[in-house]
Amino acid sequence: MPNGSALAIRTEHITRDFGPVRALDSLSLEIPKGIVFGFLGPNGAGKTTAIRVLLGLIDPTAGRAEVLGLDTRREGSAIRTRCGALLEHPGLYERLSAYDNLDFYGRAWRVTRRTRQERIRELLARFGLWERRDDPVGRWSRGMKQKLAVARAVLHRPDLVFLDEPTSGLDPVATAGLREDLAALAAQEGVTVFLTTHNLNEAERLCAQVGVIRGGKLLAVGSPESLRAGRDSGRVDIVARGITEALVAELRAHADVQSVVANGDHLSISLAGGASVAPIVAWLVYQNVAIEEVRKARATLEDAFLDLMGLETGDGDQAGGPR
Amino acid sequence: MHDIWTVVWKEWKEFRDQLLSLRRGGLSAIILALILGVVAPVQLGVEWVESRLIVGYWPFLAATMVSSLIADSVAGERERHTLETLLASRLSDSAILIGKIIAAVLYGVGFAVVNLLLGLVAVNVAHSDDKLILFAAQRFIVTVVLTILASLLMAGIGVFISLRASTVKQAQQAFGIAIIVLTMGPLLLFNALGYETRRTLITWLSGVGETRIEAYVVATLLVLSAIVIGGALARFKRGKLVLD
Repeated sequence: MPNGSALAIRTEHITRDFGPVRALDSLSLEIPKGIVFGFLGPNGAGKTTAIRVLLGLIDPTAGRAEVLGLDTRREGSAIRTRCGALLEHPGLYERLSAYDNLDFYGRAWRVTRRTRQERIRELLARFGLWERRDDPVGRWSRGMKQKLAVARAVLHRPDLVFLDEPTSGLDPVATAGLREDLAALAAQEGVTVFLTTHNLNEAERLCAQVGVIRGGKLLAVGSPESLRAGRDSGRVDIVARGITEALVAELRAHADVQSVVANGDHLSISLAGGASVAPIVAWLVYQNVAIEEVRKARATLEDAFLDLMGLETGDGDQAGGPR
Repeated sequence: MHDIWTVVWKEWKEFRDQLLSLRRGGLSAIILALILGVVAPVQLGVEWVESRLIVGYWPFLAATMVSSLIADSVAGERERHTLETLLASRLSDSAILIGKIIAAVLYGVGFAVVNLLLGLVAVNVAHSDDKLILFAAQRFIVTVVLTILASLLMAGIGVFISLRASTVKQAQQAFGIAIIVLTMGPLLLFNALGYETRRTLITWLSGVGETRIEAYVVATLLVLSAIVIGGALARFKRGKLVLD
């Protein structure tokens, strides 16, 4: 377990109530410095409330939280000085130009004039927005606004950046572009990123650690690999020539096999609990089947997430289907 | 102070960009300046410069301008979803609020002073017989001081109204009612007094003298502005605003 100084965020049983609604329920987290941390959960899970508490914008009802070693109740101002944020909305002044939006927040963080000018140029160029710097932001596409909002969040070189669903509402091309920019940014700036997202593919690609929250409760936390571990579907896909109906029927009766779906040259086999694929492959070879490919299907972060949410995936249905 | 001026800078950038765009406010500003700063002075002539009415007229106009701007500045931040990002910055609550108030007041006072000077030029061009027509120094100073104080008071009231409104339109509608109450209220109150009381009051006012009445009005506006702005500062808190 990392010591206090190596942690960007530490929360101890923080609870936040809004009247009768409990938005955060005894949330305890330890997030090391320098990583991209993904906070996953459905709508209304408590992700945005967690960010507000961590930024010292609202106090928790119970428990305590430290951000960069600072107490969120007493040292909110110092926390905000060292953090950047892209919240639920881009928060850009649409009547102002892109340059003026960044210039304003640069002034707000007391970045010196020269550094501000260099940094604005660097960030706008990195995101491909420099040529449009004098346009009022209101004329921009949502993807461009999100990029500008990310640039604003890191303008003053913060130690920690909160990004609340940065790719929400973007088309797939804009999402992929912004994701690449975020990955490059995190690597180059060495900044700790606290990212909330619905996009599990994004979390899997970007995050060193993820936490899954539902109903204000933390359900799981760890690396995407560790969350996937133990959730392997036990399904094997085999591509082979010489598969007959009789052979499929025999395969279904095999002790190590739970179910088989045959589709031309393709077999999708669900193994019985803990069974190895090797004896099945050896048996198929013995039956003169020409095997071209054997691939063990791995659980994705989405499988792990849906599993934690208590939902069954299509694979799960298949695995549990009749033989 | 640096943080306050940063907010003033941002607000002015937004005002300026709005004014530079003819469709979004520039045209209205030009029309207003033409009517108030050119047409009216040319029509009224020397009377426009010498009238006592300027002491009440310009503070009222400036305060009306401020009401519109403060609604856009405070309720507009919420409506355009920029408020929470602003609150997540390192700027303090008081720097944000004072910056917004100063920006709106500077705009209202600037509007009044520019039109006063424009009008003065227009009157001199149209009516001067080789003799420079000028405002009486004391009246001009009192007008400017009252314009500042009325603008401050309206900005403070505006913060309260705007914090309760979810859109700029809602805030401006509430402002319309507030302005009617503030202007008509004293008149209705005066009429509600008995005949003898009104006569006594008028006699007393006639005896007090113009300078002293102006001093009373300045002092009253000063106290009211301090109370309202103090209250606005107490109300403008991150924790509350985020939850609102």
